[in-house]
Amino acid sequence: MALFDINVNGQTHQVDVDSDTPILWVLRDNLKLLGTKFGCGIAHCGVCTIHLDGDAVRSCSYPISAVENKKIVTIEGLSENGDHPVQKAWIEHDVPQCGYCQAGQIMTASSLLAQNSNPTDDEIRRAMNGNLCRCATYTRINRAIKTASKEM
Amino acid sequence: MATIKTHSNRRSFLKLSAAGGAGLMLQFSWFSGLAKNNPNADAAYDLNGYIKIGTDGTVTIASPNPEVGQNVKTSMPMIVAEELDVNWKNVKVVQAPLNTDIFTRQIAGGSRSINESWDALRMAGATARHMLVQAAADAWKVPASEITLDSGVISHTASGKKAEFGEMASAASKIEVPKEVEVKNIEDFKIIRHSQRNVDGPDIVTGKAIYGLDVYGDDMVFASIVHPPAFGMKLSSFDAKEALSMKGIYDVFTIQPYPEDFERGRFDVSAFPELIVITGDSTWRIFKAKKTIKVEWTPFDSHEVKFEGEDASDHKVPSGKENTDDHYAEMLKKSKENAKEVRKDGNPENAFSNAAKVIERSYTAPYLAHSALEPLTFYANVTADKAELIGSIQTPEYMEQSVARRLGMSLDQVDIQMTRIGGGFGRKLFGHYLLEAAVISQKIKKPVKLIYTREDDMTFGAYRPTYHAYYRAALDENNKLIAFHVKTGGIPESPLFANRFPAGTVDNYLAEEWAIESNITTAAFRAPRSNFMGAVEQAFLDEVAELAGKDPIEFRLELFERAIENPVGEKNDYDAERYAGVLKLVREKSNWVTPEPSTGRGVAAYFCHDSYVASVIDLKMEDGKPIISKVLCAVDCGIVVNPVAASNMVEGGSVDGIGHALYTILTLKDGMPQQHNYNDYHLIRNYDAPRDVEVHFVESDIHPTGLGEPPYAPAIGALANALYNATGKRYYNQPFMIDVEEKYLQKEETV
Amino acid sequence: MDFKGQNVYFFILLLKRYPHGQADLRLYTMKESSSLLKRFLSKGNSKFIIAIVSVSLIAMAFSVKDFRPGNDGYTSIPTENDQNKEASEEAFEQVYSVLMHPRCMNCHPIGDIPLQGDDSHVHNMLPQRGEDGKGVSTMKCITCHAATGVPGENTPPGNPSWHLPPADMKMVFQGKSPRELALQLVDPEKNGHKNMQELREHAVDTLVKSGWNMGGDRELPPLSYEEFKEVWYTWIDNGAHAPSE
Repeated sequence: MALFDINVNGQTHQVDVDSDTPILWVLRDNLKLLGTKFGCGIAHCGVCTIHLDGDAVRSCSYPISAVENKKIVTIEGLSENGDHPVQKAWIEHDVPQCGYCQAGQIMTASSLLAQNSNPTDDEIRRAMNGNLCRCATYTRINRAIKTASKEM
Repeated sequence: MATIKTHSNRRSFLKLSAAGGAGLMLQFSWFSGLAKNNPNADAAYDLNGYIKIGTDGTVTIASPNPEVGQNVKTSMPMIVAEELDVNWKNVKVVQAPLNTDIFTRQIAGGSRSINESWDALRMAGATARHMLVQAAADAWKVPASEITLDSGVISHTASGKKAEFGEMASAASKIEVPKEVEVKNIEDFKIIRHSQRNVDGPDIVTGKAIYGLDVYGDDMVFASIVHPPAFGMKLSSFDAKEALSMKGIYDVFTIQPYPEDFERGRFDVSAFPELIVITGDSTWRIFKAKKTIKVEWTPFDSHEVKFEGEDASDHKVPSGKENTDDHYAEMLKKSKENAKEVRKDGNPENAFSNAAKVIERSYTAPYLAHSALEPLTFYANVTADKAELIGSIQTPEYMEQSVARRLGMSLDQVDIQMTRIGGGFGRKLFGHYLLEAAVISQKIKKPVKLIYTREDDMTFGAYRPTYHAYYRAALDENNKLIAFHVKTGGIPESPLFANRFPAGTVDNYLAEEWAIESNITTAAFRAPRSNFMGAVEQAFLDEVAELAGKDPIEFRLELFERAIENPVGEKNDYDAERYAGVLKLVREKSNWVTPEPSTGRGVAAYFCHDSYVASVIDLKMEDGKPIISKVLCAVDCGIVVNPVAASNMVEGGSVDGIGHALYTILTLKDGMPQQHNYNDYHLIRNYDAPRDVEVHFVESDIHPTGLGEPPYAPAIGALANALYNATGKRYYNQPFMIDVEEKYLQKEETV
Repeated sequence: MDFKGQNVYFFILLLKRYPHGQADLRLYTMKESSSLLKRFLSKGNSKFIIAIVSVSLIAMAFSVKDFRPGNDGYTSIPTENDQNKEASEEAFEQVYSVLMHPRCMNCHPIGDIPLQGDDSHVHNMLPQRGEDGKGVSTMKCITCHAATGVPGENTPPGNPSWHLPPADMKMVFQGKSPRELALQLVDPEKNGHKNMQELREHAVDTLVKSGWNMGGDRELPPLSYEEFKEVWYTWIDNGAHAPSE
């Protein structure tokens, strides 16, 4: 075990965990930030997506030792009042079905728009291709990103 | 106006409650519709929903249904709100708590949620409305019949009196519950048939919605399991020395969730009655440590598993380590042997031998893992006198019984609470993981959260069965369909629906089935059996239409004409006019006769779960992969309660079907599942998903029916037919993007 | 001219069917040239529809050393002789077996999407190369590949500089013959502007090394890392010869 200082949603937390612990499980088991989900553990489903210094990354594949001194943003910290353009567009298009993957989808979509405020359809599909949705809400996800891009 | 009874004999579906404090609280049975067919069903009288109208005018509707993404938590309260005549914006929907004094039991939804609760929900809303109106009439001393109600405002035009709901709520709670109430005319609906967004949307997009994985109890222990790597195997011995020496690991032990003499309930499907359990202080540590456990597994002998209940039958579990290529070979062999005749009309053999043209084709589909993104997980806190269980489960009522029996407790001592479910698709009907969590907690005398890794989830079994279907059709010299033969089966069940289309449309008809035993466990999967039959039947009919030289929609419509005018046989499980209706609608909306140039286009239509769906798919091939530009669906599910949610379900169901049919397969080698995680189990992703899904509903005043499952099969049928039109090649074996024939169908001769 | 004992180079200007129609100026030995020419003339090769605009048979007896581009101070490559050539080519055979192994080749694909797994399938999720080889927007290498990976069978291997060759120099291994690959490796215009010394040192690059410690059940390259380094040096130190076709 070792002590790690991590910055999550603007707050610094000290946690005492094994150095190979994926940040996903630190967020969930230690910090009880439960919006970030577990789906596969091998970076193949995207439900655990967070922002690490602004980049969308899979928190299941980043050990805590690799995130010290970096800024982590989770779905809980994406906006103060749930009113990030992507979140608003998600509601407008009634995107979620079961909803389990949607935090990850939103974290990926918001990172995409932060880097490319007016993506083409093809860029959207490629950027979102690492996020599985078992309910298959893909067409609405892509439409919602288009809508959100107008506000970016 | 129609009236609905609020009582059946001397039992009531409604009850006034004081539990709500000031205002009106009306408890009602969400499932009173069940009483129509089965007046003795206790569940029909369980008061498991309520309407609460506060003195401040807020209306709270409690929905007791498990929410798996089918959006019942929004759509069902809409029905109540409609009859209550309240402004939807002022309605708050809450998930009803369970096993409190008010709510004693509940039944999981499924595709029948809306179908079965329609009348009950209307009754509840209309009753509350009636009581509010009566309270106003009493207060204003005017006849109730002169009072009008609109969006939460009660008014009497002649006297100019007006009141908000809240003002009358307390008085309404003193009014006697009426024996029967009038419900609205369908054409007066203001909320139903108007799109309302998911009530949980804001919680979902901010990460606040709670799923089974998100349950963390105080002093909770984390647990995971190790199960045999192969079907046909059981535990022999294990060595956990290394795991136990690792930090944060508490214990490694075995449990027997399903002892040999245990009478299992309907949903207690598990191939692995004995498991190794590892417990520790965090998820990561148990996941890491469990890999170091060295286990000896041994083949088991053929044996029987006991099931309880009315349809009790001992289920035989054969021994052996099974292989996918053997499975295909066995199915091919079976398809050539005599099978069990289920329905026969006319003289099929005679018709086939006198036919001008005969066509025969065979189809297969593989095992599929449901693979919901939320893996199997459950929280359990079992003490000496109580079992508290919280998580994602589609069958809380059934599992409550299994857990009570397994733990030696009464039903009252078992409390199951439902979270939002992170995808089910049928898998979370089968609650072994809930029972396992309970057994672990009872053993270690601590609260526990059991978590499966994705690999555990995918290799644990309870798959969609693997199927084979052989079809044969005969045309006369005028290209009229004169005989139709289907012989189908699977491992371990036959998918046959003998009385579905095209039964009833052809004079000579034969439906036969067979099944093969296996120790691979299977489970209901979105549109059980229909997910295969609908897809392959519609692909076959496309070839028959082509052989007949007819347009595929025209060809089907001719068959429905026959079924409408002069049906063959009496037991035909569909309404030919509604069936034809969706085909006509899809033909119109898709510009069927003039497709976009250079696209492959296919059509299919199917009926299951009481709803009718026709699909047209347009696609192009790029680098050997289909790019689906559009899926267009025409749907008849009766009254469309919530168009946006209904459309979402059709969209998801279609893409789900297409994705599995193109890419997904679960195979076995020596009893071991060969896919373990999403790196080798291929689900459809955003880039390959249809670019657009357009949904049209048949306008209808018929009682609403299910939507979660009906779009799945026709999407696959339309896909297969579109692929043919794009490539000139017929696709017979799912998944289409894998050469199943080359990989698994080479073993025929050796059997 | 006495060609004996010398590697004589020819310039051949080939007009490959590149997307932008650029010419391809390469160095070829006489033997290579004749086999190349033979191939092109006999096949009417469609991929390489060759207009041999000019075959500059500048048969100058430059020594290899002189001709090697790059660092003037680099003199460790011995004078060519048959023995060295043989040793070099033999070593390259070994080098080739490693470079074409999935652990190396997967990040040197023909297309703009990396390969993945022991079967070198197109990388799941279809991440693209991007200008700098580090991916695009939310599908960068770092989306899944951390500096240090998480232990596990199929977890993404970690590396601080995980990337593909950049878009302007793709350094494709996939589909290359030993000869093609060797020629590409020594060509600064195709190897990331490395001179021989830099190419030699590339063997200790962390990303190259990581081919041997990706974790899980991933198949290892056919040589150990130490063995690889040895044959890599042997190949280069003996003249970095390209085996004949």
